[in-house]
Amino acid sequence: MANVDIKELRKNYGALDVIKGINLSIREKEFTCFLGPSGCGKSTLLRMIAGLEDIDEGTLAIGNKVMNDVPAAKRNISMVFQSYALYPHMTVRQNMEFGLKLLKLPKEEIELRISETAQILQLTPYLDRLPKQLSGGQRQRVAIGRAIVKRPQVFLLDEPLSNLDAALRVSMRVELARLHEELDATMIYVTHDQIEAMTLADRVVVMRDGQIEQVGTPLELLHSPKNLFVAQFIGSPKINSFDVEVVGNHGTQVTVTGQAFSKPLTVEMANAANLSSGTRLTLCLRPHRLRNDTNLEHQITGTVQLIERLGSESLIHLDIGLPDPVISSSEGTAPVRRGDQISLRFSAQNCLLFDTQGAALPRKLPADAQALMGTDAQHVA
Amino acid sequence: MRSATKRLFPKADRWAKISLNFFMLIVAIVWLTPLWMMTIYASHDDQMIFSGSIIAHHGGQFLENFAELQSKQDFVRAIINSVIVASAGTFFGLVVSSLAGYALARFKFAGAKAIFAMIIFILAVPGIAIVIPEYVILVRYMGLSNTYFGVVLPYLANALGVFFMRQTFLALPQEIMEAAYLDGASELRIFAKIALPLVRPAMASLAIILFIACWNDYLWPLLVLTTEARQTAPIALGRLVGLNTVAWGPMMVGVTLMTIPFVTLFLLLQRQIVSGIANGAIK
Amino acid sequence: MSPKNRITPYAFIAPYLIAFGCLWLIPIIYSFSMSFFNTRARPWKFDMLHNWGRLFEDALFLATLKNTFLIILVQVPFMLALAVIFAVFLNSKLLFLKGIYRFAIFAPIVVADAAYAVIFRLLFNDDFGFVNQLLNAVGIADIAWTGSSAGAIALISISLTWRWTGYNAVIILAGLQSIPKDIYEASELDGASRFTQFLYITLPNLKPVILLCLVLSTFGTLQLFTEPTLLTEGGPGVSTTTVAMYMYQQGFKSFNFGYGSAIAYFIVFIGLGLSLIQFKLLGSKSDA
Repeated sequence: MANVDIKELRKNYGALDVIKGINLSIREKEFTCFLGPSGCGKSTLLRMIAGLEDIDEGTLAIGNKVMNDVPAAKRNISMVFQSYALYPHMTVRQNMEFGLKLLKLPKEEIELRISETAQILQLTPYLDRLPKQLSGGQRQRVAIGRAIVKRPQVFLLDEPLSNLDAALRVSMRVELARLHEELDATMIYVTHDQIEAMTLADRVVVMRDGQIEQVGTPLELLHSPKNLFVAQFIGSPKINSFDVEVVGNHGTQVTVTGQAFSKPLTVEMANAANLSSGTRLTLCLRPHRLRNDTNLEHQITGTVQLIERLGSESLIHLDIGLPDPVISSSEGTAPVRRGDQISLRFSAQNCLLFDTQGAALPRKLPADAQALMGTDAQHVA
Repeated sequence: MRSATKRLFPKADRWAKISLNFFMLIVAIVWLTPLWMMTIYASHDDQMIFSGSIIAHHGGQFLENFAELQSKQDFVRAIINSVIVASAGTFFGLVVSSLAGYALARFKFAGAKAIFAMIIFILAVPGIAIVIPEYVILVRYMGLSNTYFGVVLPYLANALGVFFMRQTFLALPQEIMEAAYLDGASELRIFAKIALPLVRPAMASLAIILFIACWNDYLWPLLVLTTEARQTAPIALGRLVGLNTVAWGPMMVGVTLMTIPFVTLFLLLQRQIVSGIANGAIK
Repeated sequence: MSPKNRITPYAFIAPYLIAFGCLWLIPIIYSFSMSFFNTRARPWKFDMLHNWGRLFEDALFLATLKNTFLIILVQVPFMLALAVIFAVFLNSKLLFLKGIYRFAIFAPIVVADAAYAVIFRLLFNDDFGFVNQLLNAVGIADIAWTGSSAGAIALISISLTWRWTGYNAVIILAGLQSIPKDIYEASELDGASRFTQFLYITLPNLKPVILLCLVLSTFGTLQLFTEPTLLTEGGPGVSTTTVAMYMYQQGFKSFNFGYGSAIAYFIVFIGLGLSLIQFKLLGSKSDA
């Protein structure tokens, strides 16, 4: 297994820059997800690592060896494609054999590897079938099997679950997590589905417009987003944002007011902030931090516009007289109806603040998040 | 609402149905008559054909007519020549077209766009424009007069074939080829072991169309193949028509011999032929 | 594509490019340049207008040009209308035994030009042909198919129609089948009759395909050679001698390559011009 080091990587198609100088170190045996909206360059970056796209500038090293000009087949990687890309005219066994034969491995070795892999993926009964005779989940496993048999240093997976139906996606997700444990391999996984990224990854690389917005563990991204984009991109339903104005700043305590709030609220910062009164900021609050809990200090009042009952939770869309409704994730049986006038409560320590450029003002983590992430996580944000 | 009433009272539909089926029945009869009469004429002697009465049944002169045909022109030889020329033209045409079509579909390279634009342009240039210079080059300068090679050569540069194969390869998911590339396969191996097997049905369509086109060709083989020993079947027919006394019965035997195999083939491979024509034209 | 593969694409395309260069590009240029030479002189002599000037004074050439256009005007619209009707009917849910009809109409596609020309020559023989016998049987006098110029033009048009309607119907049928079914369903809910559907949905959607057939057919007929050669031998007189036949006579009977090339290029330019006009006339409307 190997680490992957990317320095100042760039790529353009004509005048269009698709990868704009990426620096990234992926540790050995780490499960890394590239997450971002479509067109952010995450797949291109993966294909550059694979050797399917030329590198225009910068260096790519796998296992500390520069790979820029090494042909894909010699990079010791294997890749699982979104469409699986199984060879339709070959049986499962032939699909797995193809690459091994080209590596000129001895016959016994090939057979051993295939039977081992088939065992791990429960494909043994299907080895002599053609892809079209398999279900979607089985094809997916063959695609993974074809990657595993090569015993690569790095696994690359390009949205491997996006062609599966919802139920299968959940079970394959669990299976992928198990495989990572079992193979103890470096894996790079591209997805636009944040749930996949948050559940599978050791670290997530959030990308936008060919650049990295933030690299961090799922919890870091959730609780200490580096900027407004990450805050809004991560988390479902989307985080609530409000325009606020600084009215007081006492060292690590920043007090702000906003149209949405009945009274000023004070947020505890990680370090002393230097904000003068009147500075405009964006305050963000996760929907699940906004609840009907009278112990909490602050409140937002409005009319219920819409309730989405999702079972274990209810999403309440609250019209508070601003263009966008405020969304709260409450318990599934919350006794509210459309048109009700209600107040929802929250605590100031769960608020995130961003300056007008979108950069996060590091806050003091709330106690529960701190407990999850360990005290040393605080400095990351 | 109206369509609902139509469903409840399908009377109008019934008349449409009857007249449509009747019309198509007449069309089918008219359309099949020439081929049917071909087999009838082939089995009668010329006296019967010249008699001026309507002949609606098969006669017993087929073999005699065949013998007479052979005595005038070695038609069996001509059909063999046609098979040789058409097979070679098809095979090499397929090889050249699929290689070029694959390159245009899979690779981005300098000049690819220009080459493709040129192919589209060539599709619009009638073959007749180059018959004379081709003749001058291949026959006069290269001395390929009366050789199979000389006849087949122009069939290799088939713009329609390249266009067809490009479209076919474009329809393949690129990721399959990329997977093979990551598996360490050379481009030639990817082409031969991955891409080609996946486009076999489309290649079959193209093969049939190329074969028919080569088999059909009249002007070019007429120019190149000058002796009876080398001539293709259509040329042999042309020679028979040009004789002072036309022997119709024997000639119809020749026509039947070169037509029936194709009509049978068409009966078996209608789907491929039809999809080949449609895909070559549309897309 | 896989990177670092600078040479491979060219290796794949090389066979075609070589064949193309030798058998198309050089001939095209060569033949164009030949048309500016007096190829009757020994050695060939450059003479800008020797051939091109002659084209417009050569009564025989102009006659063959007129014949060719006459056949195009008579035959192509009729055949395409028929092809649309056949395709629509073959696509209709009301038609039974489609396989048989499809076979009957499409089978001529595989019949060699020379073969069917000879069959039609016999069927339409003025004296003892099947067609005149049938006409006599229903009380119509013999038609001089090969003995009169109108008959000869009709004969060639009928033969071409038999041979090529199915080919065009195949293309139009494919076009028909690519029209989404739900448009028809939606219009049915709006109360459209079959005929209305044909006028307002089928035809507009088929326009590009019909245009393609029109261009292909015009190009094909401009090059018409085999059929008139074997059916009517260009007669009676020169009334069915086509431009392509005249090119052949000039090029390979009189061995006047320069003049033959000029004729060939004239056909090319006319073909390109006609298809441009056709695209303009029909194409612009379908964009609107």
